Amino acid sequence: MYGNAQIDSKDKAKSLTDGEDPIKLAEFEARITRGEKIEPKDWMPAAYRKQLIRMIEQHAHSEIIGALPEGTWITRAPGFRRKLALMAKVQDEVGHAQLLYSAAETLGKTREDMINDLINGKSKYSNVFNYPAMTWADTAIIAWLIDAGAIINQVTNSKGSYGPYCRALERICSEESFHLKYGHDNVVFLATGTAQQREMVQDALNRWWIPIMHFHGPPDKVSQHTEVLMKWKVKMATNDDMRYRFLDEYVPKIWDLGLTIPDPNLKKNETTGVWEYTEPDWEEFKRVINGDGPCNKERLQVRRWAEEKGAWVRRALLKAESKYTIPLA
Amino acid sequence: MSSIDPRINRLDLPTNEDGKNVLDELEQWETYEVFHQKKRGDQHVHVGIVHSANPELALIMAKETFGRRRQTANLWVVKSSAVTASDYEDQDIFETTPEKTYREASDYYCMDRIRKYQQEHGIKDRKEDRRKKKDLDNKEPVKKETAE
Amino acid sequence: MNYNETQIKAVKEFLYKIADDQLIIGHRNSEWTGLGPLVEEDIAFSSIAQDKIGQAQHIYEILHSLGEADADTIAFTRNAAAFKSCHLVELPIGEYDFSLMRNFLFNHAEQIRFDMLANSGLEPLAKLAKKYRGEVKYHTMHANTWVRQLGKANEESHARMQTALNDTFNLALGIFEESEFADILKDLNIFPGEKVLQYKWIEAITPLLEQSMLVLPESSAWQPVYGGRKGFHTEYLEPMLEEMGEVFRLDPKAEW
Repeated sequence: MYGNAQIDSKDKAKSLTDGEDPIKLAEFEARITRGEKIEPKDWMPAAYRKQLIRMIEQHAHSEIIGALPEGTWITRAPGFRRKLALMAKVQDEVGHAQLLYSAAETLGKTREDMINDLINGKSKYSNVFNYPAMTWADTAIIAWLIDAGAIINQVTNSKGSYGPYCRALERICSEESFHLKYGHDNVVFLATGTAQQREMVQDALNRWWIPIMHFHGPPDKVSQHTEVLMKWKVKMATNDDMRYRFLDEYVPKIWDLGLTIPDPNLKKNETTGVWEYTEPDWEEFKRVINGDGPCNKERLQVRRWAEEKGAWVRRALLKAESKYTIPLA
Repeated sequence: MSSIDPRINRLDLPTNEDGKNVLDELEQWETYEVFHQKKRGDQHVHVGIVHSANPELALIMAKETFGRRRQTANLWVVKSSAVTASDYEDQDIFETTPEKTYREASDYYCMDRIRKYQQEHGIKDRKEDRRKKKDLDNKEPVKKETAE
Repeated sequence: MNYNETQIKAVKEFLYKIADDQLIIGHRNSEWTGLGPLVEEDIAFSSIAQDKIGQAQHIYEILHSLGEADADTIAFTRNAAAFKSCHLVELPIGEYDFSLMRNFLFNHAEQIRFDMLANSGLEPLAKLAKKYRGEVKYHTMHANTWVRQLGKANEESHARMQTALNDTFNLALGIFEESEFADILKDLNIFPGEKVLQYKWIEAITPLLEQSMLVLPESSAWQPVYGGRKGFHTEYLEPMLEEMGEVFRLDPKAEW
């Protein structure tokens, strides 16, 4: 589960290709234009490597942190079917983190470095996971709509240019289809259930609508960087494109259940075919992503607990002769 | 601090946020490449990696990561460092030229030559009979239909 | 099955005991989700938890066919006194050493129990034991691999695993608390008895612990923690059950 690639606003480089060997760069770009994948040991521009590491790493962090708001409800899930399904679903998210960390490793950053950067706050994860899952219905909304947003993003990115990331995403997408069905089924049961259940799910939708609108990131500023990253098939669609796709596919399905989306301006303009909506508060988005959300602190503390409490296990089995090798693919 | 997650409240969460690295180098051990065989008789196919301290644990990790959601008959784990790979820079060494048709079955066609020789030397064409029979078989049902 | 009333009571008690253990330890293992010592192991604990909870559900379904409530009602609405689980499975997850050692001791007892039940005169139970043989075998394989490694890796890990064994052993003996109906189950050829199981269990874990350089407490010091099978539990079970049934009990008529 993840938002779209963000352009690093701190990246002050004038051009992403500054200082690169023009012949190698041309070959590299020609390969991508031909639709061929880039593999780990291929020559690649430094900016390509950097952006991909950043993107895949954030995606991996989002999976492992994303296991927490839903994991919250494993011990409280109502009934065997939901309990087992939620366990399997959250387990998949952790599995996705495993696949993504491995893909990022092929670019030369170790898992240890990535996890350290996560815990120390240097590296981000999807903003939605800084919000709490207040009731059981929140988990249903997350599993349906956040996963839906993630699938749109992941399917798009799986057509990107970096081989290991594409392979990981294909596998992830095949597993996510169960998540989406599970989430939808869960929301349907609540929306068509008792008055109390219906109220629960409407409340959850109200709480999650803004984070959902935030999910694919703020509208992209048109920049040279964006253009280059799209040419390199690192960024495969603009954030607004992804958001439109999400709204197009899921808003009607939400309305089918008679639920109210808390945005009176949300509608599809019949003449232009474009979704119109109230722009969510992007200042809040920035504030939360920079650490000031309701759950940021807890999420990282839990991650730190896991790593610190597990340290003795890992150190016990480490052999002096161990040597790190970058995985192959 | 109180979490809305009762499970988290049961943990003794650390409060220190000194910014120091929590993990040391190699703390997640080495990597192993995983090869997956779906069913007996199939090839083992590379599916990804796991982090492990040794092969025995790597198999357990691989079972979870790659055998959990798909049919599995057998798994191999190999230390990443034990694999020697060819260089993508040298991918052109595998390219074949279009002239190498002599390696293709479709490049061998000599019936014309045989038939010519048979006609010149009065040897019966075995296949001609078979062809005629086939033509007849195909025509028969059509005849029946018209007769009815 | 043409069992008389007492015999049915014996069978039900036996099934509750097995299923309750599985449910509770599965639930505890599921608490490791997101907290494991590395991501691969996080996934493993979840798999084991799913297997155990799935097995519990299946046994509750057998109970339902014997006239008890449906599986969800049995699992999510009973209070602690109605549970027959042993104390070992009820305790919080602690740290990885405790949870791992608990799994090791429990899984071996479970595997042997299932092996014995594969020949049980109670057919649905025999079928079930055969069906889950692979799952249960993997659970012991997982625990054996880890215990062997950590038991002899370094001083710290050895000390931790030995402490974990000392802390869990008497609790694990509580698995084998004998039922007042033991003779009935034996006569019906359903289960040969907890004493037989305990004997086989000690036989199974002794060499594994030796290979792991861990020392089983002297038999003179064995003090089995009983009570769970009779409905007397630790302070941890009731809050756990309240948490587990929190949503389910919001509206017992609702479908979730």
